[in-house]
Amino acid sequence: MREQFRTLKYAAWLGWQIESNWTKPWLFIVYSIAKPISATLILVLMYLVILSSSLTRPDIFAFMFIGNAFYMYVAQVLFGIVMVIHEDREHYQTLKLIYIAPISFYVYILGRAVPKIVITTIAILITLAFGVFVLGLDINFATVNWALLALAMIVGLMCICMIGVALAGVSFLTAKHGMGINEGIAGMFYLFCGVVFPITVLPQWGQAVGLGIPITYWLEIVRRAVLSGSGVENIGGLQSYSETEIFLFLLISCALFFAISLAIFRYADRLARKKGKLDMTTSY
Amino acid sequence: MSDWLLNYRAMVGRAYPRILGPWREPSWVLFDIFLPLLGIAAFIFYYRSMGAPEVFTGFVVLGGAMTAFWINVLWSMAAQFYWEKETGNLQLYMLAPMSRMAVLAGMAVGGMFFTSVRAVSTFVLGFLIFNVQIQVTEPLALMAVFLVTLIAIYGMGMMFASLYLVWGRGAMNFSTLMQEPIYLVSGFYFPVRQLGFWVAAAGSIIPITLGLDAMRQLMFAGSDVFAFLTWQFELVVMVGLAAFFLLLARFSLSYMENLAKRDGRLTLRWQ
Amino acid sequence: MVFAIEAESLTRTFGGKKGKEPLVALDNVNLEVKEGELFGLLGPNGAGKTTLIKILSTLLLPSSGTVKVLGHDVVKDSQSIRRRINMVSGGESSGYGILTVKENLWMFTQFYGIPSEVAKRRIDEMLVSFGLVDKKNSTLRTISTGQRQKMNVVRGFVTDPDLIFLDEPTLGLDVNASFIIRDYIRRWVKEQQGKTVLLTTHYMLEADELCDRVAIIDRGRILACDTPANLKRSVSRDSTFSIATTPFKQVSGVGQLPGVKGLEVKEQSDRLEVNFVLEDESVIADIISYITTRQGKVLSLAKSQPTLEDVFIGLVGRGLG
Repeated sequence: MREQFRTLKYAAWLGWQIESNWTKPWLFIVYSIAKPISATLILVLMYLVILSSSLTRPDIFAFMFIGNAFYMYVAQVLFGIVMVIHEDREHYQTLKLIYIAPISFYVYILGRAVPKIVITTIAILITLAFGVFVLGLDINFATVNWALLALAMIVGLMCICMIGVALAGVSFLTAKHGMGINEGIAGMFYLFCGVVFPITVLPQWGQAVGLGIPITYWLEIVRRAVLSGSGVENIGGLQSYSETEIFLFLLISCALFFAISLAIFRYADRLARKKGKLDMTTSY
Repeated sequence: MSDWLLNYRAMVGRAYPRILGPWREPSWVLFDIFLPLLGIAAFIFYYRSMGAPEVFTGFVVLGGAMTAFWINVLWSMAAQFYWEKETGNLQLYMLAPMSRMAVLAGMAVGGMFFTSVRAVSTFVLGFLIFNVQIQVTEPLALMAVFLVTLIAIYGMGMMFASLYLVWGRGAMNFSTLMQEPIYLVSGFYFPVRQLGFWVAAAGSIIPITLGLDAMRQLMFAGSDVFAFLTWQFELVVMVGLAAFFLLLARFSLSYMENLAKRDGRLTLRWQ
Repeated sequence: MVFAIEAESLTRTFGGKKGKEPLVALDNVNLEVKEGELFGLLGPNGAGKTTLIKILSTLLLPSSGTVKVLGHDVVKDSQSIRRRINMVSGGESSGYGILTVKENLWMFTQFYGIPSEVAKRRIDEMLVSFGLVDKKNSTLRTISTGQRQKMNVVRGFVTDPDLIFLDEPTLGLDVNASFIIRDYIRRWVKEQQGKTVLLTTHYMLEADELCDRVAIIDRGRILACDTPANLKRSVSRDSTFSIATTPFKQVSGVGQLPGVKGLEVKEQSDRLEVNFVLEDESVIADIISYITTRQGKVLSLAKSQPTLEDVFIGLVGRGLG
């Protein structure tokens, strides 16, 4: 256990160095703020071009805003983990050295994801603050269900990290344009998991897909926790389920995805070793 | 041997791995053709959930297709010098007598096939799946706008590439920063006039802003009400921007190379 | 006299901002390399060899001093230089993994504007010379380190440069691969009039074997520059011999013979190893006669001379490692 913790700690340290030591702290902060705010503003502008004001449909606005803000975990953590494999293999060429070290590679990847999670958390808080103080997002801090939010965050982040581990395994086998993996998988979640629109907008088959992905339940729980009492539970398409039931669905789907992700990673890992792809360079 | 012939051959040489790469590593077919449609579909459903007019579906499909080129400019051209530096190829490029712009042009031309396939597939699949109605009344004008937009953004990409001769990961993070903020200020998924005149005007320094706005006017009936400026004016401005960025790229590449050689950063890895 | 390289008072520093001491990588280097010469640059890690090569190959600007390569200034006229030079580094990982050996080589020739047919012909010939013919259609990902480095050397020579920089080209290679590369370099200079090689290495054997002249560099300064033979001669005039013999009587008497300066005897199970230093090599005949008249049999005779490492130690006070 101590060994695993040490691996996690030093992988996190390495990840932090790579994330942050390329520039001065103030520029790093600007960069960390500008990206998430811009991504959010795209959706806000799309909303405003149709509905003119955040007050026209505050429920939809809040639904979209919270979903998009917390979705950053999915996009950034998945991207970050895939980039670990890509950079370590293609550019720093350290992947093979870490791979043969007597550490758990899963733990190493999870450790590298930790700084991404920390930075994304800060970005989300900034985005939420921007939403509340600039755009008029209505969050009543007195009614936020902090316990539910904390539980949802723990389970949700573990699930996201495990999906990232699966994608990392797939990255072992793909070339440099495998960065499209991140875009594709994140796009799939963005479409089917009710991130910025209720899943009821999708065709039936699309809704069925969404209901099989833990991110859908995670975002619903997060919204209900943050916007408790606002009626947001009536929009997402899961109105007939209570928080407890949705949390249970989240746990079950996470467990399933955990098993699938582990299987994918192990298979990809074995295949990569068989085909000698662990130290391949594919940039062109 | 004339410089033109040398640079032409250099361009062909550098384009070669880009043209061949997709055939030898075909995993891109899934990840770069089908999966990006998902993100686009999400934006379409987002608009639909708000009851947006159907023309906005077309806007999203067009914007999504053009992201293929913008991402190509940022990552497969501008940031390429960073990757080349890390793998040791950059010093061999700098050692060779070819023009730096020839190398970058080779990357652009070589990557054009892959990028165009992604863009066209996004167009076609997007239009078919979401039943987008297009009405192209002036196909030559549309082609001209498209080509000038590409020349201008690739010229901009060459200019960005010069930064990577000096910077290391800072430039790579700069490229990351040029995704969402540019999607925002260039109005990839919404009419740029929504940002207000002055912000839209400032965003027009990025050629794809006016390119998208002009293409929307030329492709979708009834989109004039969402236009920022007339497409004719936008085309003229973009021609100017194309010339400007290509000239700026030439100067910037030379200046940054000298700066990198002076500071010893031209071949310095892991900055 | 035409010089391929002329450096005068060349200095290169790094850093030195914010009150920190700058790192002096090259310190007032003066160097002349004649056209047609195979010139070696010998020095330990961090001596400044690679920095010097980068300046000469126009990848780095000098901090001060003037440098001309093939008659052109490296600062003002780098484009003219680039048409006529090339460079190969040890442990190089250039090229693209998805392309074959032949494709990678062809691509690099295009950066020099070489017509395709000419390039392909040269590549085919050189692949034969380096024993890479059966690998020409293999992707870079599938070839070994030695094969890759041979390919890198081909890449350097295939553009037919007038001056080529070889920065530790045999680094990390096995004996066979190193031999092939060194043999090619030697033949290339010998057979091509006016072609120049600047070779950096810290394998003194390589420098000794190949180079017409060697410069020894340490901490950014040229300490000595001459032919390998002259450099070694400058260290010592005495020759060291080692004779293995069967046991014989009055072994210590060897040390008393005229011209023998020192004697060391090592007894092994069934033989003796007699090491001695001679002022004059002609005394060796007397020594052998002494041994054989005392019923000893000479099993082997070896002469050791000062090496370039001895030269370096003599100049600097530490080894090349």
